[in-house]
Order: sequence, then structure tokens, then C-alpha cells
Amino acid sequence: MVCAPSWVCVLAMFPRVSVILPLHPLCHFPLCSGGSEAAIVLLSAPHGTVRTKNNVQRNFGTISVNYSKKDEQSAPTHGISKEAESQESVKENTKKDLLDIIKGMKIELSTVNVQTTKPSSRRQGKSVEATIGSLQKTLEDAPKKRTKSVSPELEAAASAVADFLHFDKQTSKSELLRQLQQHEEVSKAQKDGERTKISVSNIISDMKVAKSATGRVSTRPVHQIQFDKGTDSFMGQKTDDLKKSLRKNMLKGKRLNIFDLKTVTEEAPETETAPSLWEVEFAKQLAMVNEQPLQNGFAEMIQWTKEGKLWEFPVNNEAGFDDDGSEFHEHVFLDKHLKDFPKQGPIRHFMELVTCGLSKNPYLSVKQKIEHIEWFRNYFNEKQDILKESGIRLN
Amino acid sequence: MAAVAARRWLRFRCKVCLTLTGQRAGPCGQVPNCRFYSGSATVPKVEGPNVTGIEEVVIPKKKTWDKVAVLQALASTVNRDTTAAPYAFQDDPYLIPTSSLESRSFLLAKKSGENAAKYIINSHPKYFQKDIAEPHIPCLMPEYFEPQIEDVSEAALRERIKLKKVKASVDMFDQLLQAGTTVSLETSNSLLDLLCYYGDKEPSTDYHFQQSEKSEELEEAAEENNEKSKKANHQFGNLWRPKNNAERIFALMPEKNSHSYCTMIRGMVKHRALVQALNLYTELLNNRLHADVYTFNALIEATALSAREKPEDKWNNILELLKQMAAQKVKPNLQTFNTILKCLRRFHAFGKMPALQTFREMKAIGIEPSLATYHYLIQLFYYHENHSKGSSLIIYDIMNELTGRKFSPRDPDDDMFFQSAMRVCSFLRDLELAYQVHGLLNTGDNWKFIGPDHRRNFYYSKFFSLLCLMEQIDVTLKWYKDLIPSVFFPRSQTLIDLLQALDVANRLEVIPQIWKDSKEYGHTFHNDLKEEILMLMARDQHPPELQVAFADCAADIKSTYESQDGRQAAPEWPANSLNSIAVLFLRAGRTQEAWKMLGLFKKHNKIPGNKLLNEFMDSAKASSSPAQAIEIVKLAGAFSLPICEDLARRVMANFAISQEQKEALGNLTSLTSDSDSDSDTSEDK
Repeated sequence: MVCAPSWVCVLAMFPRVSVILPLHPLCHFPLCSGGSEAAIVLLSAPHGTVRTKNNVQRNFGTISVNYSKKDEQSAPTHGISKEAESQESVKENTKKDLLDIIKGMKIELSTVNVQTTKPSSRRQGKSVEATIGSLQKTLEDAPKKRTKSVSPELEAAASAVADFLHFDKQTSKSELLRQLQQHEEVSKAQKDGERTKISVSNIISDMKVAKSATGRVSTRPVHQIQFDKGTDSFMGQKTDDLKKSLRKNMLKGKRLNIFDLKTVTEEAPETETAPSLWEVEFAKQLAMVNEQPLQNGFAEMIQWTKEGKLWEFPVNNEAGFDDDGSEFHEHVFLDKHLKDFPKQGPIRHFMELVTCGLSKNPYLSVKQKIEHIEWFRNYFNEKQDILKESGIRLN
Repeated sequence: MAAVAARRWLRFRCKVCLTLTGQRAGPCGQVPNCRFYSGSATVPKVEGPNVTGIEEVVIPKKKTWDKVAVLQALASTVNRDTTAAPYAFQDDPYLIPTSSLESRSFLLAKKSGENAAKYIINSHPKYFQKDIAEPHIPCLMPEYFEPQIEDVSEAALRERIKLKKVKASVDMFDQLLQAGTTVSLETSNSLLDLLCYYGDKEPSTDYHFQQSEKSEELEEAAEENNEKSKKANHQFGNLWRPKNNAERIFALMPEKNSHSYCTMIRGMVKHRALVQALNLYTELLNNRLHADVYTFNALIEATALSAREKPEDKWNNILELLKQMAAQKVKPNLQTFNTILKCLRRFHAFGKMPALQTFREMKAIGIEPSLATYHYLIQLFYYHENHSKGSSLIIYDIMNELTGRKFSPRDPDDDMFFQSAMRVCSFLRDLELAYQVHGLLNTGDNWKFIGPDHRRNFYYSKFFSLLCLMEQIDVTLKWYKDLIPSVFFPRSQTLIDLLQALDVANRLEVIPQIWKDSKEYGHTFHNDLKEEILMLMARDQHPPELQVAFADCAADIKSTYESQDGRQAAPEWPANSLNSIAVLFLRAGRTQEAWKMLGLFKKHNKIPGNKLLNEFMDSAKASSSPAQAIEIVKLAGAFSLPICEDLARRVMANFAISQEQKEALGNLTSLTSDSDSDSDTSEDK
């Protein structure tokens, strides 16, 4: 099963929206019935609203923080949910994090070696072979056939751009096409290699966190410690007095007077070193301290989720899709990256087609998409003199 | 549930709103779900035309939930089912454990099944390559434990260290040395880590189950018996052998940093080479290096464990180490103080004052004590349970300090606290304190610190026994219903405590139910319990309905004795039980069976009690059957009981008996009074 992220579906929803939305003034293209042309219109259409939305989004961002705090308080079962508790203090938070990681590590730690060594290399090798194979095939084929894998619309657009560059028409067309093709191959390879990438990177990122969190000594100023002034309401009145008179407060009295509060609490520069075996094993031991048999079926599902055996809630088609937390609009609305390109003309047309294609691609990360656009920017900049000759203005 | 649904709805709504313009956010805001964002000044308002008195709600761009947030919310709605076994035991009804022994073997069986599967997968990875899951599930795939790098290189060494192959790493190190390659300091250090942690032995397979069960108990026993060396060997698996690979490699290392020394010291202490550890520390100081806090912790342990010194000297040595720490500007951590307190337990009475000072020091420099800290204090102050006079009251201070707090694990011994606190409650006989401890256990996620199975059983047994002793019977029975069997399976002693509580409160009618439960929890063959039940039931006269119920119960218990006959070669029928069962049958009017019981007395060579014979006589009188009465007298005669004459007199007085019978009776009494024995009586028969 291919899990295309949900923003691809959002894209599919657009044709209906387009009826309502006013056409963007910059869109000169007539509405075609099919494919990318329509999509381009739709993509470029909400230009005007995007900016206002950005403002709102910023507010949203700040609010969401408040939300999470509110939710914690209003959650009827505070304390049972681990999350709520862990957010209460940073100290606890890091500790929990560490524990979670270590719980995870118990299973995954040994997988690291495995994944990084044999199977991954094999698998990557396979995918590399596949790419090489396809590359060789395309190289062997006639140059006409080479463009086969690129969609005909894009090909047409590429040749349109190339047409404007009178000089060396064929090479520029093929250059553009090769880039497109390469892009496609990368996405294909990533589609294949996705699994390995995910598992390895997950584990590695987990381990990084564990490193920074170990060995931090919690510090709290003395004056925050509150003494209970012995209100023993639970004891009978007589025994209460008796016990009080007998009792020495365990908090009051001589101390060793060896350590100084100042030296202990002062922040030492934390040196980033890999956790040694001692620390890892100690953390494992700690994780085992409050290991208890599961209390109910949901707890079991939580455990399975943490082990990666269960689809994560909420169940959607983005499972296992991790793109540094970027959201669907960053994948779909790529027009904002076209600011430096001319507002109209064949290059604009070409780039809009490129962004359209990119916005539909579920296998590239946002970063790769931007890099791809960047490549075109550089390309056109390099060819500036040719463009000038043919009367096309860049910038 | 509703809240979760609302949140999900909200989230969906937000996505929709995003595709609309900012203007449309207004109507969305007037949703009744205001409690998620009630009016706080920090919420920035969105300027818009439709701000109408009602607080504007700003829909977040996207609300991201933790992947388990939904499940956690759901899990928090599920309470413990007091009528069922814990969730972990729910399985095929036939397999659900009903006693602590069974529950343990259930868990062990489950775990060992998992381990066996894992073992097979890991030892034959090539058969388990098919990855059917999408998205990929790494934890279901075989793990590779074999090193992949074949050649002799530092990378290969690092790989072997990472895979915790002790011997292979050492071999690789030697090969590298022979080839003349120098191994980097970092790699040598991690090799030392490996060797020191595992004491130059291959680590045991990581398939642990709940920790090594009796390590702590063993340790305590060792402390008591002063047979440290023997038991320590047991506990720590392997001791530090002089001239082992760690020492050899340490000596071979061209340059050593403090890490190399520290890990060596820690390894030596861990594997009980205490003198070497202390010597190495001097060497470290001579090389003008500094030890880290973990090493100091180990050294403190070494100082405290070292033999043939007086507690005072040891304590002074520990103080000396702490002063060195302060001088070297090494910050102590929780483990430092916990180690000190743990070691002070060994000093018994001497340790009390230093322990308090240590505790205050720790508080004073702002290190929050963990549950383990309090556990050590409790252990130190309540070492001798029988010292009821003048026992310490520190537990009240501790509980005052802890009540309402929530804990996260910070020390491996954190899970010992509740057990030892409850032990003290039970020994102080302070029910209120026990409730306080139990309340703390049920604060937040603290219940997770109750520890493995045996500790949980200990805790609840103590708690419940205390309840039986101190609490009103109705409340006790409520606790009984609540805790058993969903939290723990009672031991027979626990049930006997409950029976005694029932006796005190005069609620004996519950006994048949208790017997049913104890059968359920695997105490069918527990003689103490059965005798206690029978004794309580037979002691007094009760209303007829109750007597019927008791007789049923007695018949049931009788059947367990009989089925036991089949199981064991030497059946043991205690005389008391026989007496009680017979009495119960008699009182319930099951005369036939009662007479059969009398037969059993003979069979098992037990002597019926006077009370029982009198009751038989009463029943014979009630049914006005002189034959039975004479039979009783005969029986008493057969056992040559002194009561025989009394019985005969009663028969004479109360029954209309024939001349023959009278003669027989006269014979019996005279014979018994002559204390002439069985042969004649048997002739009579």
C-alpha cells in the first residue's frame, strides 16, 4: 500500500473550491479541463489570501501553546496521563523523555547495529542498483525515449522554455528534462528506500536525545523546601502530644557541612559526551523500576504504539511519514518560493508547472522540493545571458 | 470520552477553517467548547468586525497530539475491575491464575514464550526476512548480534564493543596490538567500560524478567549472617579476578585519562575488588587526575563494604571522601547520598545519627531525596522489629513530607519504599499511617513504584492484615472485596487473619464464603487454614440455617481431606478437624454422616473429644435411640476414655434400655474402670 500524505488529497479537493475562489489576476491561462493546467490555476489562485492567513497563523501558533496548558488542567484525570505530568516541570520532562527513549532503546538499540550494517546496505544497494539500472536503460535508449518517464505536459513546457532560448535549443531542453527525470528518480528511490530511512533515522534521533539528558543533576534552592510543622491530626490527642514530645524533627539539626549550596547548584558547562555503558545500563535499570504489568487494553495499545507495532493515533494515511514536522500546506503551496522568478512569461509558466508537479509528489520532503526549485533558479541565472539575448527578462 | 471526541472534532474543524478566510473564524469561535480556552489575558484576540462581547476564540492552525494521547485519555477512563483477575492475566479462562504461585508461573510462561520466539528469530534471521508490515515495524524483525566487519581494524573493535561481545572485543584488541596498530583512547576506554561493567565475562542474555528476584533479600540475609563473601558471590554473579583482561588492557594502554581510571574503579567496586579499587584511586590521585561523581559513589560503597573496620572508622573514611569531593569541586548527586545511606544501614545503631546528618546535608544543598532515600532511612531506623519500646517515629516525619507527592524513578531502589513503609505501619500497628501510605501509593502514578510481584504481595498482605487487626469488620470486608483477587492473591496467613477478625466481630456467617474463596486461591490443602475455619464454625451453637451452611462447608472441607488421600501417601487427619466436622454434622442434623465420622476416628487412630461424645449422646437422646447411645459408650470404652462412665450413667438415666443392654453397659464401664483394654471390648462386640 502506498501511503500518500493527506495533503495530496487536499489537492484533489481543490477543483471544487476553484469555482468559488476568484481567479488570480496573474493567471492568464485558460482553464483546461484536465491535469496540471487546472491545478496550476488553483494553486496560484489563493495568492491573495495567503498573506492574510500568515498573520492569523502566527496567532494560532501562540495560542496552541496556551491550549496545551489549558488542556492539562482541564483534563479530568490529571496525573494518570503521563504527558500532563511530564510537562509540569522541565526536569521531569527530560527524565521522562529519557525513560521513554530508553524503553524504546531496549528494543531498538540492537536494531541500530543491524539496520546500519547489513540489511540497510543491502537494501540501499538494491535501490541504488535499481536507479543505476534505470539510468543505464535510459542512457542506452534513444534520447527521445529518455523523456518517457517525464509527463508529456512537463516535457511540452520544457521545450517551450527551450524554444525561447534560440541558442542551443536542444541542449537546454535536454538539460531541463534531465533534471526533471532525475527528480523523478530520486522520488522513486526514496519511495523504495523510505523504510530504511525512517527506522534508522528514528533510532538515531532518539539516541541523540538520550545523550543530552543523562547525568543532569536536579537542583533546587533550599528555601523552597517546605517543612511540615507536624500537624498530626491522624493521631489520637494523647499519643499525639506524647509522640510530639518524643520526636526530633528529622529535618532540623546538624548536617555534615561538607558541601556548599553555591558550588553544588552552580551550573557546570555540560560537556556533550556519548553516554557510556554505565550510564546506559543505569538508565535501563531505572526504567525497570516502575515497570508494572499492564492495567488495561488501552495501556497495552499504548505500549504497542511505542514499540511501533500499532498505527499511531489519529489513524490517517500519514503513518510513518515524517518530514521534520512540516505540514501539508508547505508541501502543497510552493508558489511562495517563486517570488524571485519573473511574474509572467514562459519561465514563470514553466516554474508553475514545476511547483504543481512538486506539490503532488508525496515522496520528496519539503526541503528537497525547495532545493529543486532552487536548482532551477540557479540554472536560469546561469543562462542569463542567453535569456537576455532572446529577450526574456529575469528578475 | 466526550472530551476526546470534542477535541478531535475541534481539530477537524481547524483544518476546515484553515481553508477558509480569516473572517470565517468568527462563527467557529462561538462554539460552546469554551472550556478549552477560557478567558486568560495571555490569549491574543483577533481583531475582527464580529467581536461581540463574547470572547473571541482563535482556532489554532493545527493541534498536534502526542501519538498516544488518545489512548492515554481512553486508558484513564478504565478502572480496575474488582471482580476479575488483573488485566495482565486475562487469557483463556482455563489459564487465568488463581493463586500467587500460578500467577507467577503464568507470567513466566508468557515471558519465556516471547523469549523463545525472539531467540529463534534472532538465531535464524535469514528465515525471517519477509517484511509484511507497512509501515515497517522494526521490533518484529530479527536483530543481528553477529559482528559484520571481518577485518582487523579499530572499527571492527568498536562494533564488537557495541554488540557487547566481551571475548571477541578482547581478541580484536590483542590482534590490533600485535599488528602494531594503536587503538585510540576513546575506543580503549569503551572497551574498558565493557570489561569493567560485566567483570570480564560475557553478559548474560538480556532476557530479564522483572529483575533478579531475590537479590535484595539475599543481600539483607547476607548482612545479617555476615557471610558476605559467600552470598555476594551469589548475588553479583562474578567477582573481579586479579590479572583479568580489564587489568591487562588497562596496563597496556599507553595513555590513560581519568575516564580509564574511573571505569576501572567502578568495575572493581561492582565486582567487589574493594581494596584494589581504593588503591587505584590513590594511583589516580598520584597521576593528578580527577575522579567523577560516579567513581566517588563507588568509592564510598567500597569504603563501607570493606571488612575489618569499625563503623566509626568507616564513617570517617566516607567523610574523608566527601571532603575530597568538595575539594575537587565534584558535585554530589542523588546516588552519592543514597549510597551513603544504603551503606549506613550496615552500621545499625551507629548509623542513625550520620544518616540524619547526611539526609539534612542532601536537603540543604538542594538534592531532592528519592523514594529509595526514605527507604534506606526507614530500614535503618526500624531495623529491629521487636524493639517496640522506644521505636523511632521518623516514619511520621517521612510521611508528612511525602504525602501528596508524585514520583518519577530516580534510583534503582525506588520501588522498595512502599514495602518497607507498610512493614513499619504493620509493626507500629498504626492503621492511620497505613492509610496514609496507601494514599501516597495511589497518588498519581505512584502505584508503579510498588515493585515486582513479591513486593506487591508483601505490601498488600501487611496492609490487609493490619486492616483485619484494627479496622471495623465491615470496612475490612469492603477492602477484602476490593483488593482480592484483582490486586493480589491472599496467602493463607492473610485469610487466617481475616477469620480471626470475623471471630472478633462475631460475623462467623461469612466463613463459608471465605472457605470458597480460599479454595479458589489455592489454599485447598492448607491445614492451618482449614483447622481454623472448622474450629471457628464448631466452637459455638448457631441458628439452624447457619448450621446447615456450616455443615455444607464442613462436608466440603472433609472432601478435600479425602481427595488428599488419593494425592498423598500419608493422609493426615488432625483430630481437631475430625471433631469439628462431626460436631457440625450433628448440629445440622446430618446424623448419618456424623456417625461415619466416628468411624474415621477409629480408622485414623484418633481420639474423639469429650464434647463431641456428649453431643452425640444429645443427638441420640433427641432421636431417642438407645442403641446409638450404647454405641457411643462402647466407642468411648474402646478408646478407654475417662468420660465413658459418665456417658454410661447418662444412658442409664435418660434412655429406656433393655436388661441386656444394661448388662453390656455395666460390662463396659467396669472393664474400662479396670482399664482393661481392647480385647475384651472387642469380644463384647
